[in-house]
Amino acid sequence: MDSLLNAIASGLISGSLYAAMALGLTIIYGVSRVFNFGHGIVAVMGGYFVWSLMQQAGVGLLPSILVSLLVMYLIGFLVFRYSINPLLKKPGWEISTVLFMLGAGILLENVLLQVYGPRVKSIPLFVQGSVKMGPVQINWHELILMGVVVIGILALNLFFKSTRTGQAMRSVSQSIPGAKVVGIDIERIFGLTFGLAFAVTGFSGILLGTKYYLNPHIGWEWMVKGFVIVAFGGLGSTLGAIYAAVILGVVEAIATLYLGAIWVWPIWFTMFLILLLLRPQGILGGRM
Amino acid sequence: MNLLKRLTWKNWLVVWATLLIVVYPLIGASSYMKHLFILFFVWSVVASNWNLLMGYAGITSLGNIGFMAIGGYTSGILAKTFGLSPWLTIPIGGVASGLLVTLFLGLPALRLSGIYIALLSLIFADSLPSILTQTREITGGAMGLHEIPGFIPGMEKIHAYYICFAFFVLVHFLIHRTIISNTGLAFVALRDSENLATTVGVNRFKERIKVFALSSFFTGLAGGFYVHSLGDISPTTLSIEPFLLGITMMELGGIGTFAGPILGSAVIVFGNEFLRLAGTLRLALLGALICATILFFPGGIMQLIDQAEKLMRTLIRKRISREN
Repeated sequence: MDSLLNAIASGLISGSLYAAMALGLTIIYGVSRVFNFGHGIVAVMGGYFVWSLMQQAGVGLLPSILVSLLVMYLIGFLVFRYSINPLLKKPGWEISTVLFMLGAGILLENVLLQVYGPRVKSIPLFVQGSVKMGPVQINWHELILMGVVVIGILALNLFFKSTRTGQAMRSVSQSIPGAKVVGIDIERIFGLTFGLAFAVTGFSGILLGTKYYLNPHIGWEWMVKGFVIVAFGGLGSTLGAIYAAVILGVVEAIATLYLGAIWVWPIWFTMFLILLLLRPQGILGGRM
Repeated sequence: MNLLKRLTWKNWLVVWATLLIVVYPLIGASSYMKHLFILFFVWSVVASNWNLLMGYAGITSLGNIGFMAIGGYTSGILAKTFGLSPWLTIPIGGVASGLLVTLFLGLPALRLSGIYIALLSLIFADSLPSILTQTREITGGAMGLHEIPGFIPGMEKIHAYYICFAFFVLVHFLIHRTIISNTGLAFVALRDSENLATTVGVNRFKERIKVFALSSFFTGLAGGFYVHSLGDISPTTLSIEPFLLGITMMELGGIGTFAGPILGSAVIVFGNEFLRLAGTLRLALLGALICATILFFPGGIMQLIDQAEKLMRTLIRKRISREN
C-alpha cells in the first residue's frame, strides 16, 4: 500500500512534467494545425542552453532560465517565419510540415551531439532534501517542480484568457476565417504562437533535465510520450493534455511498480488505441 | 502515339538500366556492389510502398519500417527455428505484417484523420523494440537474429541478387498496375478531395483498408527478402536511421510519383556509402537533405527531371522552328 501511494505520488510528479512538455505541442497544433515533429529537440535545446550557461559560463539559475526561454522564443519565431510559413502556403502542407520538422529535429539533434558530445548532462537540483508526508516521501525539488508547473499553467491560462494576443490566439484556433474578418494578422499570431510554444517546451526541457538527465537523444523519447499525451487528451486542447499527462504519468508509475518499466509503453499504446476507438477526438478534443 | 513519343527517352533509359542490372553480376560486379544492389532492390520496394500510402493515398504513415520488421522477423524466425523453406515463410511474413498492420493501424485509421494516423503509426513502430526485448527467447532480443538461412541451400550473393531483382520488378509492376487502376485513382481522389471523392461513389473505408493492406503486405515481403538475403536482423532496423533513410528516399525522389522513390532509394543506398565518410555527421546531413528538399524542391528529383525535360523541349522546338 505504501509503495502504491509512493508510486502515485511519483506518477503525479512526472505527470506534471509531462504536462508541461505536452503543452507546447498542443498549443502549436491548436492554433496553427501544424504538428511539431521536432518537439523533442526543442525541449532538449532549452535544457542544454541552461546547462551550458550554468556549468560553462557560470551564470545563476534564474538568469540562465530567462536567457534560454528568450532564445527558444526567438528560434520558434524564426523557424515559423522562414520555413513553416512558406510551406503552409503550398498544397500538401500537412505532410510536408511533418517531414520538415522531423528532418529539422534530427539535424539539430546531431548538431547538439557534435557540440556537446553523447555524455549525459544534468542540471543541478533547485533545492536539496526531502519531506515525508505520511507514508509518502517526496524530494523538495520535485515538490517545487510541481509547483512551478502549476503556476506556469495558471499563468498561461491567464495569458490566453485576458491578454489581447492570447485572445487572438484562441480566436485563430477556433476559426481562421473568423479571425481574419475581425482583423487579426494570422501570420503574426502563428509566429508568436510558435515562439510561445518553443519557450514553454524549452522550459519543460529544463524541468525534465533537473529530474532526469539530458542527452541529445532523450528528446525523441520525451516527444513520443508527448505525442501520446496530446492525442490522448485531444489534439489542440490544453486542459485535455494536462489531464492526460497526469493520468498517463500515474499509470506509468503504477505499471513500473507492478510489471516493470518495459511494459509502460505497450500499456500506453493499448490505452491509446482503446481511447482512439471509443473517442477518436481524445478526452477533451477540439476545445482549447 | 503522342504519349509514347513523349515518354520515349525515359522508356529507353528504363530498358537500358534494367539490362545493365541484369548483366552487371555477369560482367564482374564485386561482392560489395552486389550487396549494395540487393539493398537497393529491397529498399526501393519499401520506399515505393511507403509512397503508395503517403504520396498516393495521402495517409501520413510513419510506421513503415515497423511493417518491414514484422515481415522480416516472422519470416526469419519461422525459417531459422522451424526450418521451413524461405519460399513459404516470406509470404507468411507478408501476410502477418498485412494482418497486424490492418488490424492495429488500418482499422483505427478509418476513424482518424491526418495527424492522428501519423502519431498512431509512429507509436506502433516505436513499441515494437520493447516487444522484441520482451520475447528474447524467440526473437533474440537486442542481439537480433543471426544466421538466417538463405533462399536456397548454399546460396551465394549472385543468387540473392537475381532473386531480389525479380522481387523488385514484380512488386513495382504490381504497384504500377495499382496506381493506374481504378483503385489507384480512388486513392488519389480521396487524397485530393475527400468530400468530392465520396460523393462520386468512392468507398472511403474500403480504399483505406485496401491501401493499408497492400502497402503493409508488400513491405512485409520486403522484410522477408531482406533477412534471407542478408542473413540477420536486429532491433536496430527499427532505430531512427532506417526510418530517416526511408523518408529521405521518398522525399528526395519525389513523393507522389511512381519513379520517384525508386530513384530516391538508388541515390540514398549508393550515396549513403559516401556519407559514411562524414562519420557522425551523417544523420545531420540526412536531416538537412530532407529539410532542403522540402523547402526548395518539393517535387524532388522527379521535379528536376521534369524541369530539365521542359527546358530541352523548348530548346529543340526553337531550333526546329528556326530551321523551318
